[in-house]
Amino acid sequence: MRRWSWSRVWLHVLAVLLALWVIVPIYLIAVAAFSPRDVIYKYPKPLFPTQVSLETMLFFIRSSGVLDSVRRSIVVALLTLAVSMAVGAPAGYALARYVFPGRDTFRIAIVSTRAFPIVILSIPLAVSFINLGLYDSVISVALMHTALALPFTILVTSSVFASVPVDLEEAAMTLGCSRLGAFWRISLPLTLPGLAAAAIFTFVLSWNEVFAAAILTLRNRTLPAHVLSVLNESPLPFRFAGGFFLLVPALIFMLFIRRYLFNLWGRVVR
Amino acid sequence: MRRTILIPLLILLVALVVAACQQQQAQPPTPQVIEKTVVVEKTVVVEKEKPVEKTVVVEVTPTPVDYGNVVILSTQAKPIEEQEKMRGVVLADFPGTPEFIAEDEGVLIDRVVAEAQAGKGSVDVIIALHGTFPVLLAEDTLMDVSDLMADLSDRGIPEKFVELGKLGTDTQYYIPIMQATYIFAANKAALEYLPEGADPDKLTYEQLREWGKNMQEATGEQKLGFPAGERGLMHRFLEGYLYPSYTGTMVTGFRSPEAATMWGEFRDTWQYVNVQSVAYEFMQEPLLAEEVWVAFDHTARLINAFKERPDDFVALPAPSGPAGLGFMPVIVGAAIPKNAPNPEGAKAMIEYLTRPETQIAILREIGFFPVTSVDFPGYVSVGIRKEGEAVAKQAAAPNAIPALLPVGLGEKGGEFNKVYRDTFTRIVLNGEDIQTVLEEEAANLQAILDATGAPCWPPDPPSEGPCQVK
Repeated sequence: MRRWSWSRVWLHVLAVLLALWVIVPIYLIAVAAFSPRDVIYKYPKPLFPTQVSLETMLFFIRSSGVLDSVRRSIVVALLTLAVSMAVGAPAGYALARYVFPGRDTFRIAIVSTRAFPIVILSIPLAVSFINLGLYDSVISVALMHTALALPFTILVTSSVFASVPVDLEEAAMTLGCSRLGAFWRISLPLTLPGLAAAAIFTFVLSWNEVFAAAILTLRNRTLPAHVLSVLNESPLPFRFAGGFFLLVPALIFMLFIRRYLFNLWGRVVR
Repeated sequence: MRRTILIPLLILLVALVVAACQQQQAQPPTPQVIEKTVVVEKTVVVEKEKPVEKTVVVEVTPTPVDYGNVVILSTQAKPIEEQEKMRGVVLADFPGTPEFIAEDEGVLIDRVVAEAQAGKGSVDVIIALHGTFPVLLAEDTLMDVSDLMADLSDRGIPEKFVELGKLGTDTQYYIPIMQATYIFAANKAALEYLPEGADPDKLTYEQLREWGKNMQEATGEQKLGFPAGERGLMHRFLEGYLYPSYTGTMVTGFRSPEAATMWGEFRDTWQYVNVQSVAYEFMQEPLLAEEVWVAFDHTARLINAFKERPDDFVALPAPSGPAGLGFMPVIVGAAIPKNAPNPEGAKAMIEYLTRPETQIAILREIGFFPVTSVDFPGYVSVGIRKEGEAVAKQAAAPNAIPALLPVGLGEKGGEFNKVYRDTFTRIVLNGEDIQTVLEEEAANLQAILDATGAPCWPPDPPSEGPCQVK
């Protein structure tokens, strides 16, 4: 009994440490982002906000193009999410359920798209997008991000679908479901947590991606392309404000998607 | 438990952001475009039998010139605050709609090259350091702006800078629009120890040594100072000032007889240099502390001395050597891509940037010095004005030799600098044999040049293939 409780204690300590590992930097960034400038330059920096000021944050938000770029970033991330799920999930399902010629080659081919460093591809990519008339638009960035995210989406979803026994689908079909119906009513709900994880990854990838976004857009920048490259040359207050600003929407998205993830964990724990 | 803390926290964050957004809507930061109406009043006296006085009011509205959208892509003024100042102040009076976009050098090059290959451009003006333009020219992306340069010939851009904008060809490819550089700063107390007949604005390195000697004899202290500390910019002094002044080159004359003479003289000068120089990084501090009276550094690293005690310091152009006045300008130029959608607007923008009032605005807002001849008005702080005048004198000196920041070394730039610093340490500080050190370090230098394949850059004459130490 005693040993059991000790291991529980250690588990909790570990969990708290891990949580702090993530939360403390976020907290410090938030405090600094809402502090007046002279406080930020002080050393040592205060751990708790002594004065709250929106000065830096407001300057950051008001500087031209930031709000627009936030809107574009969200649109791009959601588009990326939608397209890569619409394409990636069926592809993953096919890989998990069907044996077809060239299946292994297909698997390798998917991953190999990530083998090319995008820096080398930047000029040809920009040239093709210009020729297609998609240059400097939200769609071009979303397509590019989809291409970057797809390998992961396909591989994750295929392993997620593989974890659902075929028996369940077959049982559903014997009870009158069509193939599609079995997928829709049986496999999909069971794989929702895994799909949510893939969605988070896709969203965050798109949200953080700078290079493709920077090269494919000029006036219609996403937030990271707009500010990330200049943040390390900016004064300290802007780094905190920018860092905070880049952080928040991703956090909010994860909060939404989290309940699906908990389904997965809940099932495993029970 | 975690949920109960996290959710209110996030709601708070969202609320803050929303609050911020609302305030943003209340005060949109739109840069004001002011249309000016000129009213000319004329009094005409008509003399006839009955003298009648009649006032004729003629209203003249300048034809509203609108150059439309001008997209400016810049590797300079990148920090957010500086971007805002460019948009809100520097470019505010341009007759058109400027769009200022700051970008990393690599992305800028890729974009301009891609737009050239696709045959459809969206960028009108490129603002970048001199070193960026040879790369763009190699890809044949730059427009010939010789006509524009001819139109701007009255702006007083130093001939040497104009020449750099030709990138070693006969065609003007970029137009210099602003600069930063390194100069000397001197405490006024030092001026009385100047060698006899020396003009502080036209010193030679020999006179600098004499000056140091006089100061030491008078005060018993070594009053010259150089930023030879670890993060100091001593290598720029060696590469861009000492070497060109004695050899007329930075690289090719590395182990020449002139270079040997130069090192001998500089070692001799060093006895009057404050021994703490090997630890100095920003010379404004030892100047303010009066540890040294005369010091060399980047304008940005001297400015506090001028700002805090403007009456105590003077800014001086660098001294000259046997070959001329070597100095290192950090030149920022403006170019137009070949397939710019709005070339007329782009030309108007470059013309606008070189206007005296814009040059002053650039200096005040983002700290780059004018390239044109500009009278510094009273509202520029005294410190900046002093530096600016020295910068202008240095660049316009008849014997000036602009030595550019290394071009084409990429990540090897640090190793390149190390060669110069090592040579300095071995010859001047350790007293090793000059010719031996020069031979050995020349080999290191050549290895770096070969590895990068970098051709010579000014002041060295252009080369086929990698630059060669003679």
